[in-house]
Amino acid sequence: MVVSRPNARFDVGLQTRNFMAESLLSLVDLEVRRGMGIVLTGFNLEVKSKDVVVLHGQNGSGKSTVIESCARLLPLEKGSVHHHGSLVVDSEGRRNLAKHPFGLTLQSNGLLGDETVENHLLTVCALSEMTTDILPMLESYGLAHRRHDRIGQLSGGQARKVAVLAGLLPAMLSSEPRLVFLDEPDAGLDENALATLVSDIGKLRNAGHAFIIASHHSEIMQCATRLHDLEVERKQEHPDGEKWNAVGIEEKSGLLSTRTGHRYLRSTRAGIARNGLTALLVIGTLLAFIDPSSIESQTVLFGFILAPPFAAGLIGDPVIYLMREQRAVDWWRAHVNRLPSAEFSAPILGFLLATLGCVLFLGETNWILSLIGAGTLWTTLACVRFIELSTLRLARPNAVFIKLLVPILILPWALVVEYSATM
Amino acid sequence: MRQRVPEFFLGLGFLGIMTTLYLGMNWAPSVSINAFESPAAQRIFYWHVPSAWAAFIAFGVLFIGSALWFFKRSPLGWRLHVAGTEAGLACGLMTVWSGCVWGAAEWGTPWDWSDVRLNTFGLLTLLALFLVLGRQSQPDGVETRDTFSTFGLYSFILVPLTYVATRIWQIRHPGPVIGAGDDGGSLQSSMALVLLIGALSFTIFIIGHMMISMRITHLEQRLEQAQKSLDGGN
Repeated sequence: MVVSRPNARFDVGLQTRNFMAESLLSLVDLEVRRGMGIVLTGFNLEVKSKDVVVLHGQNGSGKSTVIESCARLLPLEKGSVHHHGSLVVDSEGRRNLAKHPFGLTLQSNGLLGDETVENHLLTVCALSEMTTDILPMLESYGLAHRRHDRIGQLSGGQARKVAVLAGLLPAMLSSEPRLVFLDEPDAGLDENALATLVSDIGKLRNAGHAFIIASHHSEIMQCATRLHDLEVERKQEHPDGEKWNAVGIEEKSGLLSTRTGHRYLRSTRAGIARNGLTALLVIGTLLAFIDPSSIESQTVLFGFILAPPFAAGLIGDPVIYLMREQRAVDWWRAHVNRLPSAEFSAPILGFLLATLGCVLFLGETNWILSLIGAGTLWTTLACVRFIELSTLRLARPNAVFIKLLVPILILPWALVVEYSATM
Repeated sequence: MRQRVPEFFLGLGFLGIMTTLYLGMNWAPSVSINAFESPAAQRIFYWHVPSAWAAFIAFGVLFIGSALWFFKRSPLGWRLHVAGTEAGLACGLMTVWSGCVWGAAEWGTPWDWSDVRLNTFGLLTLLALFLVLGRQSQPDGVETRDTFSTFGLYSFILVPLTYVATRIWQIRHPGPVIGAGDDGGSLQSSMALVLLIGALSFTIFIIGHMMISMRITHLEQRLEQAQKSLDGGN
């Protein structure tokens, strides 16, 4: 279904700029394609402080498309999206970080099964450069006793509560107005959790925060100030009531993506399980057939030493692999420009593997070769990650034969081996 | 009659390719036994070089189609992209296969991972395979087309790189014999004639192939539209 509101088309001029200065969110003349169809066309929306916009159009009408466009996840055919008056995404391909953090709950939870509930919520706090005691919030959603559990161990409903809470947190932390995007937040929630959610939305609205929610649930629709079926909008009055008191304490969180990637690796050991094990298998296979002491060619020996770090790199970034679960990559892409990755641990692993190779094949350590091994793994991993991330927009990114492209890395690797041998 | 043009091109190209093979194997003179390890295997060049030429034409079409889709959202651009990919894969595989056969006879190894031209051309062929398989694995949509067009656009850099590779880094692959400058041009006129017939034949064949491929893609799109109409969509 194509949603078109040509009469409401935005006049991008002085009047628009003044209007945008007041608004938390502006969608200007939005046109978005999904599949071969145009889902939204000429769509405009202004959201101000204390607005709760509930999108309740029929299935396929474009509710999730609106939310994902607001969260910078979809490329635009036309138009632009502004947060707090600043451009975040437009049809020219510009994709800027939002100046202020926003809350996001996707239809898929966007959670990592190996992450604990507490760690995930503290990461959300860190994205807002804040911290807080999350226990009261967990208690209100009946999750306090699950605080240290991995998300993968929770039931579907409990995981949904974590995702919803993660969406609300940026608003809960801040005394300044924040945007919150919730896609079908009621799905899978029990009655108590739903009542808490409705209550929290009301309190946060009274504190000045703004919401865009996609839902058909009657209780969610009742807390809307604007009911929008993507064609016609209806306003609902709500008296001011109890306000939410911001609970965040400012805390700088530098290198968040790097630290998060490292934490994912530490908690899952995916780097060792995927990349490390592959490298060890390569070493084992080589040793099964070849006696290193019988090899006279320095190039061949160095090739054997640098083959395990190279093979480990070809496997790809283990953090990106983990984040393919439940669209966690998309959740991160919405919030940051640099995704969590294994770039910190890759050179360490490469160094260790090359050192092991030196001991096994040369019978001694060679620190220069170990450093070259570190660089080989880091560079190879970065190239494979770049290729993998470039197919993320596909409907079925796991179904493409992306590894067909990695043989190009053999040539530079072979040149590095030859260069190392002549050093 | 106009509807039969692609089939005519395909048939004419096929006849030309067969003629090239016959002339290459039976009529073209042998190369000097001092210049090559395996002089008889050199005759595979009458297949290898024209198929590489046709592959470059196909990759050029892939680039143009990708650009037309990416910047103009042109359905014709997407059909050119698909046709260029399929033709590039077919010709790329012919080139790589025949090159491996010659390499095994002449160098004693079918492939050299340190030769730039071999690797860049091999990657172009793998890219075409990636695009063909990838397109079959995804539902047709703007996300699929945008992603694969991006690959088509950026990978074109490999075409000029492959072309100049033997001029800059001649490792194993022979340098150019046509248009090589003053000290090149070691090709006899009869050899050049067979290569010319081969290049023309492959060009005609690949044009016919791409026209048929575009027609099939167009029919697929119409079929999908008809299915959507039956589903009640737009």
